[in-house]
Amino acid sequence: MKSLLMSLSFLLFTVCSFAQEKPLPFDERGKLIYYEVVASNETPKDSLISRALAFLEADSKKFKISAIKGDTLVEATGKMLISKSALGMARPMGAVDYSFYTEVKAGKYRFWLTDFVFVSYMRDRYGNFVPETTIGIPLEREQGKLRVAEWVGYQKITAREAKAIADQFKTALATRIYTLQSKKPKNTISTKKW
Amino acid sequence: MKLKSLVTIAALTFTTATFAQEADAPLQISGSADAYYKYDFAKRPNIGTSFGSDHNSVSLGMLDLALKKTTGKASFVGELSFGPRGQYQSILNGDGNPSNSDNSFHIQNLYASYAFTDKFSMTAGYMGTFIGYEVIAPTGNFNYSTSYLFTNGPFQNAGIKGTYAFSDKVSLMVGLFNDWNVYQDFNGVSHVGAQLMVSPIEGWTAYLNVLSGTSNGATNGTVLDLTTSYQVTEKFKVGLNAADYSLDGGGGYGGGALYLQNAFTPGFALGVRGEMFTFKSTGPGTSKDIAAVTLSGNLKSGGLTFIPEIRFDNDSNSSFLKSDGLTATKNASQFSLAIVYAF
Repeated sequence: MKSLLMSLSFLLFTVCSFAQEKPLPFDERGKLIYYEVVASNETPKDSLISRALAFLEADSKKFKISAIKGDTLVEATGKMLISKSALGMARPMGAVDYSFYTEVKAGKYRFWLTDFVFVSYMRDRYGNFVPETTIGIPLEREQGKLRVAEWVGYQKITAREAKAIADQFKTALATRIYTLQSKKPKNTISTKKW
Repeated sequence: MKLKSLVTIAALTFTTATFAQEADAPLQISGSADAYYKYDFAKRPNIGTSFGSDHNSVSLGMLDLALKKTTGKASFVGELSFGPRGQYQSILNGDGNPSNSDNSFHIQNLYASYAFTDKFSMTAGYMGTFIGYEVIAPTGNFNYSTSYLFTNGPFQNAGIKGTYAFSDKVSLMVGLFNDWNVYQDFNGVSHVGAQLMVSPIEGWTAYLNVLSGTSNGATNGTVLDLTTSYQVTEKFKVGLNAADYSLDGGGGYGGGALYLQNAFTPGFALGVRGEMFTFKSTGPGTSKDIAAVTLSGNLKSGGLTFIPEIRFDNDSNSSFLKSDGLTATKNASQFSLAIVYAF
């Protein structure tokens, strides 16, 4: 008996879509903002601040601490790269510079990312991507018809990346995964006692 | 024997294009494609600067593909180009061997870099030149036609160079290079070049460049070049290129070009380029002064830029010809429309 030889071939298709993401809201100044207040009853205020500093210092290419006000407020600047990727390949479209603030109180802390500014990138004579200009465009600024789709894309990516940074930050403050650099060298053994 | 039913399921392959923050430095692929229409008012090609050479024709520029990969401290860039602009108009065929004279390598950049520290890196291979303001890829220029400074300067400088960044505001590059534009140097690596980059204030960057050496079959020559740009406001940018190339025994060129650009909206900008250029004398009556003014628009939508342009040139030696193809004239003018897509 012949068995039916069944071959199923699936269609090759291309999906190009943006996932549904929550857009960033506006603050009182009309600026886009990612804002969150987190309850933290178990961790003292001092520990929250030191963990926040450790988080920001752990990646100096992403964050630069600009001010520490008293022992409750930390201000920093950040940069997120916006890339287009497909099939494991990517190219930078631009970067979004932003301000990062965190403030602690007894029992809770808050943090927010705002002042998002988009700087477009271009390919230089050596094939490397570099900023096209030194003055970026605020991300909340409305764009003309020719550019609105592209601009909405940048806003969506920024919202997603801000959420990812927020999740990492909350984890860092909850779990001490980042610590301020200690001066003790790694992998040391004591030869004094044997 | 019963044949077992075989169910063959072809793996589903789909492409998703998603935007994501770069995390692992994946392979970067980018490029551009361009085409143009140009009409010279003398009804013949008159202005001899690079690219956009065809008169009254919808013509090709180039298809350009660039790959870049970074792994740790090492990276490589490979850039291929196809079409008139990407082949015989910007790179030499072959390696100087007559048997390869019809063989384009299609290579605009092919080099590797290693970052020894955050401040010091070395690069070796075949690279776009560090001299000058304008570049070969149309995505790097505001105007579609090129300047005389660009046309007469180097296009590529293969070699080895080291770059030290003293700070974000100052860096120095020093290197040894082949002759201009060649894949193989037949008289040895004999050019020395350097570039000092300074960025005194935010938005203003200046490059002081020097390249000196003896090309195969020629006398010693030195090019000094200043390239600078200043983003005055969010909308207004000023650029300047000034260069002098002198050869032992006479010849060379000198000149300056000023670039003024204003972005009226993110999708529309106007720019004007004014250039004064001199071919230096190699004998009596051989020097020539040229002035050129170019007005270009940039209309952008996504990766596409539409460039309408009009240009007026004046040659002191009356090297241009009128529409009869015989009568010399000092003036030439052309109108062009170009589309450039960057991906």
